[in-house]
Amino acid sequence: MDKVLDLARANSLWPVTFGLACCAIEMMSAAMSRFDIDRFGAGVFRPSPRQADLMIVSGTVTKKMAPVLLTLYDQMPSPKWVIAMGNCAISGGPFVFEGQYNLIEGVDKLIPVDVYVPGCPPRPEGLLEGFLKLEEKITGTRRFPGPVERW
Amino acid sequence: MVDKVQAELKSAFSDLTIHEESYPECGYHLSLDLAAGDLEKAARFFDDRRFYLAVELCVDYREYLEIVYIFSIHSSLCKVKVTLKIDPVNPVAPTLSKVFDCAWWYEREIHEFYGVRFDGHSDMTYLFLHDGIDVYPLRKEKVLVAEADRLELNSFSPEQREDSLSINMGPQHPSTHGVLRVVLRMDGEYIEDAYPVLGYLHRMQEKMAENRTYQQFLPNTGRMDYLGAMSYNLGYVTAVERLVGIDVPARAHYVRMIATELNRIASHLLWVGAYLADLGGLSPFLYAFDDRENLLDVLEAVTGSRLTYCYFRFGGLYNDVDDAFVAGTKAFVARMRGRFALYEKLVGGNVIFINRTRGIGVIERELARKCAVCGPVLRGAGIGMDFRKAEPYAAYAEMNFEIPTGRNGDALDMYHIRIREMETSLDIIDQSLARLSDGPFMVEKPPKKLKPRKGDLYHTVETPRGELGIYIVSDESDKPYRMKWRVPSFSNLMAFPELAKGNLLSDAVAILGSLDLVIPEIDR
Amino acid sequence: MEQILKILDIEGVRLAVGLLAVFLFVVVNALILTWAERKVAGHMQLRIGPKEVGPYGLIQPLADAMKLLGKEIITPRNVDKPIFYLGPIMIFIPVLVAFVVIPFDSYLQVRDINVGILVILAFSSFTVLSILMAGWGSNNKYSLIGSIRSIAQSVAYEIPLLLSLLAVIMMTNSLSLKDVVVAQKGIWFIFLQPVAFIIYFIAAVAETNRTPFDLPEAESELVAGYHTEYSGMMFALFFLAEYTNMFIVSAITVTFFLGGYQGPFLPGIVWFLLKSYFLVFVMMWFRWTFPRVRFDQLLNISWKALIPLSFINLLVTGGLLKL
Repeated sequence: MDKVLDLARANSLWPVTFGLACCAIEMMSAAMSRFDIDRFGAGVFRPSPRQADLMIVSGTVTKKMAPVLLTLYDQMPSPKWVIAMGNCAISGGPFVFEGQYNLIEGVDKLIPVDVYVPGCPPRPEGLLEGFLKLEEKITGTRRFPGPVERW
Repeated sequence: MVDKVQAELKSAFSDLTIHEESYPECGYHLSLDLAAGDLEKAARFFDDRRFYLAVELCVDYREYLEIVYIFSIHSSLCKVKVTLKIDPVNPVAPTLSKVFDCAWWYEREIHEFYGVRFDGHSDMTYLFLHDGIDVYPLRKEKVLVAEADRLELNSFSPEQREDSLSINMGPQHPSTHGVLRVVLRMDGEYIEDAYPVLGYLHRMQEKMAENRTYQQFLPNTGRMDYLGAMSYNLGYVTAVERLVGIDVPARAHYVRMIATELNRIASHLLWVGAYLADLGGLSPFLYAFDDRENLLDVLEAVTGSRLTYCYFRFGGLYNDVDDAFVAGTKAFVARMRGRFALYEKLVGGNVIFINRTRGIGVIERELARKCAVCGPVLRGAGIGMDFRKAEPYAAYAEMNFEIPTGRNGDALDMYHIRIREMETSLDIIDQSLARLSDGPFMVEKPPKKLKPRKGDLYHTVETPRGELGIYIVSDESDKPYRMKWRVPSFSNLMAFPELAKGNLLSDAVAILGSLDLVIPEIDR
Repeated sequence: MEQILKILDIEGVRLAVGLLAVFLFVVVNALILTWAERKVAGHMQLRIGPKEVGPYGLIQPLADAMKLLGKEIITPRNVDKPIFYLGPIMIFIPVLVAFVVIPFDSYLQVRDINVGILVILAFSSFTVLSILMAGWGSNNKYSLIGSIRSIAQSVAYEIPLLLSLLAVIMMTNSLSLKDVVVAQKGIWFIFLQPVAFIIYFIAAVAETNRTPFDLPEAESELVAGYHTEYSGMMFALFFLAEYTNMFIVSAITVTFFLGGYQGPFLPGIVWFLLKSYFLVFVMMWFRWTFPRVRFDQLLNISWKALIPLSFINLLVTGGLLKL
């Protein structure tokens, strides 16, 4: 039963409509004609966090935004997953410098992150790969043959 | 125009010296240093002559703080820099918010970043920052926020009134395209008052600029306005080239223009889609993105990125374009010209769309001037101001193109203007492609280390959203002493509370969408 | 066979079997329609839609349903608990009742009540009640505004809805749905009552809160409208109800204007479903083509255009019948 549920969950990851910065545009691109994330059943962007399973943190998280992000995460019903999209969400990215005063250096300092998608911003293919990785994490099997490592 | 203003200034402020500046070097024609008492009089002087306050900013010179006002005018090219020196220990300045609406916002910004209090300002609460920051970030020395100041900064509480419903639109809201928060006071479905709260994406760009060399800061520009990254790139490199004095080869100019205009089309396409999505029609979004993807293919091949470009370098380009780029651009231009009919069918001719946007968010000329609104929003109000024509940079002076203007200043006009701007961009691309000749794409010896002259520069370019002003203060080192970005979305947002008042909630969404805001650009 | 029919004739059995069938149909219908909607949306938007989950993504809705079943049901703080929970359950009453009287075929009807249409219309007001309960119970401003919009909208659109159906009823002299279908043996009422058909269909789209009249859940304005605070299964119930409602209004349109289950060659039920799903497709087509109307425009369309028009239509119908 758990297996079936996991399979269902992995194939129906509804993300919450939550764009932060530049990466949000690439997130939108991933949902659009060419990349069409809906193929994997993940195209239902829900505006309300209560109906979503997945939060894509697409951009820089500032200290002012952090409480809002936490509320949103708390509002999501479990089981829930988080993809940290882009370098800003992973570690602060290009905006870390000595004396910075408004940056959360990595969203994993606030909420547990399942998949990291690096890039500044990551290409939509990168996000798709992130989705597949997350599915792999949930079900234990991979949908497509993975990317070939060339180096 | 400049001479006339100078003469009139002389007669109005007889005891002051008015400096004539070299416009190609500084970006402004006249400068004058005022005492606090004269400031409002000067503001009224410019207000009477239909000037607008392009930007108000502060520079920390350690011995004193200097508040800089740049006045500019829509009808011709005349820029005046007014400065006011204030004491850094107890900084107080008179407010201009009664004369120019946009000063109300800039002064709040200066207050939280520098600790300058403005006498007579009605609202000194946090705009970009928040309680967790206990210093004034842009001061050169570490200055703690005083207790009294902290209380004042924190005094904003939207729920204080019992008799009306206040709604938080944002920071996470489907229609704000990012993390803008607008507190709406509602009477049923009607908006009584709109109060934007900003800074949810404040990434300290201006502070960072002071910590980075000119070259190191270049990639940041593309991340400020991610939709018009090329325009920001171009603005920044042309500003620094102007400051240092680098002449760029002709080929680089044309390629820069082609890339920038392609990027402008991409930005407008995304706007068309996102705006329709705001109004509830999702499909045009995907059609616009389809075109955009085709365009990005062309740009990606030569720049290496899809969104946050960093293609221009001081003195030229990162790499040269090849024939494939030229062919790809030509193919895209041909395709795009055929697509406008489709958009007209899908969007422009739709009865529901027309009814939703006609007469909504009408921007009066006076409001446009007081808020220093810019770009397509300003042109929608009927003022044909475009910095590609007014202050040509790159090789825009050679280009022959129209500036589309609107008649009513409503959201429908903004739509048509943006569509027509895409067409003019295509024209510019065509002309640039025709002039593209062989030659170097980079100056012979690109400077390894930039050593600009001492002084300041106010440089403006036209981004897809409007007037981008870059104010750089240089102290002869390889890092900017102060860099202020006068961003178009911020000025356009300033008009929003006035436009939203008395309208329905759905209209507020339509108005907010028509302004084409990019939040990271506002928050910087 | 005869024995089965005999057993089915017993009132209680018939009702029980009918309800079970209806319940199954509601679920299956919603599953098919969610899949169809995403596919239709995809193809209208230059993309494919669900594809990887099962052949042509056919298992997609099943996965969605399973997932929603397995989700945590959050009860937000400060909600009005009984009302909050009753909302999504109540929304099913009109749905079930409507299925009881719709004739899927000449013999496939749970119960032929002689005031069938009256029953459907009377109970359809329950929908708005449950939306109000959901909006009020959620203790959320967006939900509240959404439900208030929904009430104004359904008050405005129920009138033209009724009036346009009344014109047909005047011609058939019967409130029984079966009689209405039988009366269309020669010619469909869409040809005799084209104005009523258009009015009814517009009002029906508005009643189901679909784009361009999806104001109660306007995404770009009200986040998710009245069901903003619902999660997991409770949200799935609203979803289910929305798609079932789409089918019901289409089914009523078919019954009243498109000849119901009648058609050549194929069995009645096939014709009925074909016609109904075609109308559902048209509604999806609307959704992925039009932007949303504004609230005051929405009310204007009803009060200033549809209602006067349907009155005129009624008068003309009456006059012609007298002649």
